Amino acid sequence: MIIDLKKLTIAKAHEALKRGDFSCVELAQAYLDTISAKNKDINAYLEVYADVLESAQKADQMFREGKAGMLTGIPIAIKDNILVQGKIASSASKILENYHAPYDATVIAKLKEAGVVFLGRTNMDEFAMGGSTENSAYGVTKNPHDITRVAGGSSGGSAAAVAMDGALCALGSDTGGSIRQPASFCGVVGLKPTYGAVSRYGVMAMGSSLDQIGPFAKTVSDSEILFDAIRGTDGRDATTISADTYKPVRIGSKKPVIGVPREFLKGDGIDPAVLQNFEKSLAALKEKGYEIKDVSLPNISYSLMVYYVIMPAEVSSNMARFDGVKYGLHVDGKDGIDDYFQTRRAGFGKEVIRRILLGTYVLSSGYYDAYYNRANAVRQMITKDFLDAFEKVDVIVTPTTPSTAFKIGEKTADPVAMYLEDIFTVTANLTGMPAISIPCGTTSKEGKELPLGLQISGRHGDEKTLFQVGKDFLGE
Amino acid sequence: MITPAELDKLAQLSRIALSEADKASLITEFDSILGYVDQLKKVDVSMDTEGRVGAVKNVMRTDVAEDVTSSDRERLLDEVPQREGDYVAVKKIIAQD
Repeated sequence: MIIDLKKLTIAKAHEALKRGDFSCVELAQAYLDTISAKNKDINAYLEVYADVLESAQKADQMFREGKAGMLTGIPIAIKDNILVQGKIASSASKILENYHAPYDATVIAKLKEAGVVFLGRTNMDEFAMGGSTENSAYGVTKNPHDITRVAGGSSGGSAAAVAMDGALCALGSDTGGSIRQPASFCGVVGLKPTYGAVSRYGVMAMGSSLDQIGPFAKTVSDSEILFDAIRGTDGRDATTISADTYKPVRIGSKKPVIGVPREFLKGDGIDPAVLQNFEKSLAALKEKGYEIKDVSLPNISYSLMVYYVIMPAEVSSNMARFDGVKYGLHVDGKDGIDDYFQTRRAGFGKEVIRRILLGTYVLSSGYYDAYYNRANAVRQMITKDFLDAFEKVDVIVTPTTPSTAFKIGEKTADPVAMYLEDIFTVTANLTGMPAISIPCGTTSKEGKELPLGLQISGRHGDEKTLFQVGKDFLGE
Repeated sequence: MITPAELDKLAQLSRIALSEADKASLITEFDSILGYVDQLKKVDVSMDTEGRVGAVKNVMRTDVAEDVTSSDRERLLDEVPQREGDYVAVKKIIAQD
């Protein structure tokens, strides 16, 4: 039978599997067929697992035994920096080209328990450093809506996999926008949960005070299903939060109040088509009965600068573990210490080296106070601005990105131009608050319809309200 | 803004060998990135934000060794680039005269 993957959601697939319209094996095969037709052009997957049908058979068995849940048999793609035991996890880096994960990440263990079918590992910017997947050691991922453009990054492969119907949903990681920006570029839903909501045990660390794992899906409802399956306290990640870490806010039956940081949308470098679309989204929300208020976030213009101090600082220490001794690539130097120098030079790409050096600089004696300490102080000020704003409104909306997906190669020569892509997304990582990007229409560029995203951010621990507004906006 | 000598020092601290070509482009890129983040120096950071931010707190665990099965250990050792039996092989670090 032919399964209409375009319109499929997790809930619909589950109902169909339960009814026996198709089996888990047939569903998995439909995705494998799409992947083999499309992946050579898109390069969303670095590897499609050899045991996909085998795990689909196990999922069918769970249905037969009455043990199936909502996610049983659901085909999912995994970003290449999340460990699946026995499989290669390379973070799209040459330094981990042949690294086999010795254990499962907590999110993987939870999904295995639920009986999902892992399709394969997706392309990304090396160690999640980048906004276009152009920093992958294994070639760029192309945007399914226009293959001359990037899919975004760093989780570009996961976003493209879902957008090309090469997976029903996917996992990514988000340190400064790495789930939301590619979701926006590819026209899918991407969630960066509250810091600590999802265990990071088994995901390769980039910026430890910023990183979160989150879902990609075609609908907000699917994102919610996946988020509920992976969230929760984990003894193996001391930063995970529990249900009572943040006091729940009772909005009652009233519609959430929406805030707009007007002054932040006046900056240079925002595509007029993005702003026009954003105003349309606001009008649609107003039409649905939402109250919309201007909010003031006085220090928000410093967010990106703060991020580009704190993130490289954390990168420089997290990347120290790659030494050619414990795992991964080893290149022989003239003595023991030279082994490190040669291994790291050969194994890391340009952007990773740039960030390690930059992080070492901002942490070094004489510069620490001027950069790192100051950035941390401003980070607290930005967080306070948001906490104050959330006294008056329930969610804050902005465009997800300042432009549509850009051309491959357009921004590779200028790191700052690439960094500016993160302007609207980094704040949620700095404050630890959750944020979701949902598709909000398209704009025409060179005859192609390119997706745009609306970012909805909320209070710590309040993903629920993001889902509520997102579903309402999309009419789910 | 950043001198070649400073960059050499950073490369030394970071354990990364850099070619002359790497260094030339890194110096230009550093100037552009630091020029951008330098705007932070204008911010008045005297505001007291203590206790307002986040709910992250220290989580302690007892200092005990966890049991590792021999298959777990084998999986970890399997990833070691240079292995001798159950040991990680590294070069001699004490030079002989």
